[in-house]
Amino acid sequence: MNVSDLSAPPRGRGLLIPLLLALLVFVGLPAMLAGFDRGYFYQIANLALIFILLSASMHLVTGVAGLLHLGHAAFYGVGAYTAALLSTKFGLGFTVTLPLSGVVAALIAFLVALPTMRLVSIYFAVATLAIGQMLYLVMLNWVEFTKGPNGIIVTKGLELFGFSLSGRLATYYTVATVVALCVLAIGRLSHSYYGNALRSIREDDQCADAMGVSTARLKMEAFTMSAFFAGVAGSLWAHMTGYISPGDFKFSESILILAMVVVGGLGSLPGAVIGALLLILLPEGLRAFGDFRNIMVGLVMFLSILLLPKGLLGEVSALQLARRQLGAAWRNTVKGEGIGWR
Amino acid sequence: MTHLLDIRNVSRRFGGVLAVNDVTGHVDEGELVGLIGPNGAGKTTLFNLISGFTPLSSGTVSFDGRTISGLKTNQVARLGISRTFQNLRVFPNMSVFDNVSVGAVGALPQGAFGALFGSLAGGGARSAEISRRTWEALEAVGLTHVAGELAANLPYGQRKYLEIARALAMQPRFLILDEPAAGLNDTETRALADFIKRLHGTGLTIMLVEHDMTLVMSICQRILVLASGRKIADGPPDTIRRDQAVLEAYLGVDA
Repeated sequence: MNVSDLSAPPRGRGLLIPLLLALLVFVGLPAMLAGFDRGYFYQIANLALIFILLSASMHLVTGVAGLLHLGHAAFYGVGAYTAALLSTKFGLGFTVTLPLSGVVAALIAFLVALPTMRLVSIYFAVATLAIGQMLYLVMLNWVEFTKGPNGIIVTKGLELFGFSLSGRLATYYTVATVVALCVLAIGRLSHSYYGNALRSIREDDQCADAMGVSTARLKMEAFTMSAFFAGVAGSLWAHMTGYISPGDFKFSESILILAMVVVGGLGSLPGAVIGALLLILLPEGLRAFGDFRNIMVGLVMFLSILLLPKGLLGEVSALQLARRQLGAAWRNTVKGEGIGWR
Repeated sequence: MTHLLDIRNVSRRFGGVLAVNDVTGHVDEGELVGLIGPNGAGKTTLFNLISGFTPLSSGTVSFDGRTISGLKTNQVARLGISRTFQNLRVFPNMSVFDNVSVGAVGALPQGAFGALFGSLAGGGARSAEISRRTWEALEAVGLTHVAGELAANLPYGQRKYLEIARALAMQPRFLILDEPAAGLNDTETRALADFIKRLHGTGLTIMLVEHDMTLVMSICQRILVLASGRKIADGPPDTIRRDQAVLEAYLGVDA
């Protein structure tokens, strides 16, 4: 075999499915939404899109890099609050707050990551849990700044360089475009050699280190980038709904996003998208069953872990990853090295 | 003349145990050197000290005239020292190709921007080079036909070669193989010996860490012998075979 001919990795580069998806999101769905013409459907569609972005950003840090992140919703919140505060205090519009929300969330994630990135396995997970709670408590209790539990009303809707995009269909299109672009970016990141380096950290970080991969730096980048995308999602949410409060970003939301990634399959971007759709649409579809629907959603999650250890499309089993992370924490350490960090 | 790898008075203490005790040695460019010793002699520890896995208690290690003791493992790796593991450590949930590409991308890092914008940010050439090195390494070990398989699905013997391919994809100047023959039968060991000789023939400097003498004796040009953390002999296979201290260490014969 002539080696020089083989310049591409052995994976399908099918364009058909992405094209069909784009067609569905930008033509099919809007047509249906316009046909039904009910605000409720638009809301569900937008919510699903935002959670697709959250799930996809979580996929980058948890699915690909294998870092158990329990505070993702807090960075979503940081983005939303950045957008809301910039908009109410300085009168800035969506065009400006969208990137800034991402940048602020990424900045906070970066600062937080500096001391926590050397933590391994379960200790890292606990640290992200604590960070999520801290950010949530700031949103809740710093009343002068964030208006606390009352939340913030955002009067400025979606717009692009001053053109209002706040009509129902325009809002949908804006959210869909931003989400699609972000998911595309995440896809390029995770399906690259860079993504492979991240995966190697998930698989065996010491071994990755011996292969020349700067594990600490890459973990930091994955964590920061995922916070950026969560921040962008937060900005979409703030301008779309017009009202945010700390309750939208509490711990249970982080767990919901984690569940989306796990159900869809760790390491698979299509999985993360499907997981988000499932866990947003299922509870809505089951509204007729009242509070029983939560039990049914729980059952779906439970069964998916039990029967589909790798989720729908995943590369790695969630239980296997969790067990290894828990187990790794109890390894004997050499004198002079702290337990639980590297 | 400077040696490619220079180990000077290296020691490592684990609590009260001196795992490696004042070892001095070297490897020259283009050599195929064996590092042997009975179980618990400190071979793997010495090897971990070289690759930066374990910090030194005292002494220095330098590579190509540059002190590498104190560097992080990934920095040592990027200088051109590549390794395999005694207990196989392939990335089980990644394809064979992706496994090997990690070696290439480790030596030749692709950044997030390169991944995002590809050829727009000048990342295209980098990607192509990583891909070329990956295919070359797979070709060298003869695993191109299973490139798309999941690493976990490969049989044991092929996973050994996969590890070697991953190390080769880094295009190292110095390759350390940690007990590559462990778990292989005689036929497989002979095939491995031929393979290592061929690798050495391409000009690669190799160190072979083994506790089994036969493989090392048959292919290495020079052999370092460790026992209880100390270097007890250093010379060509013929000398080592007759060395009294080595015989004692291996067979427990009284002098």
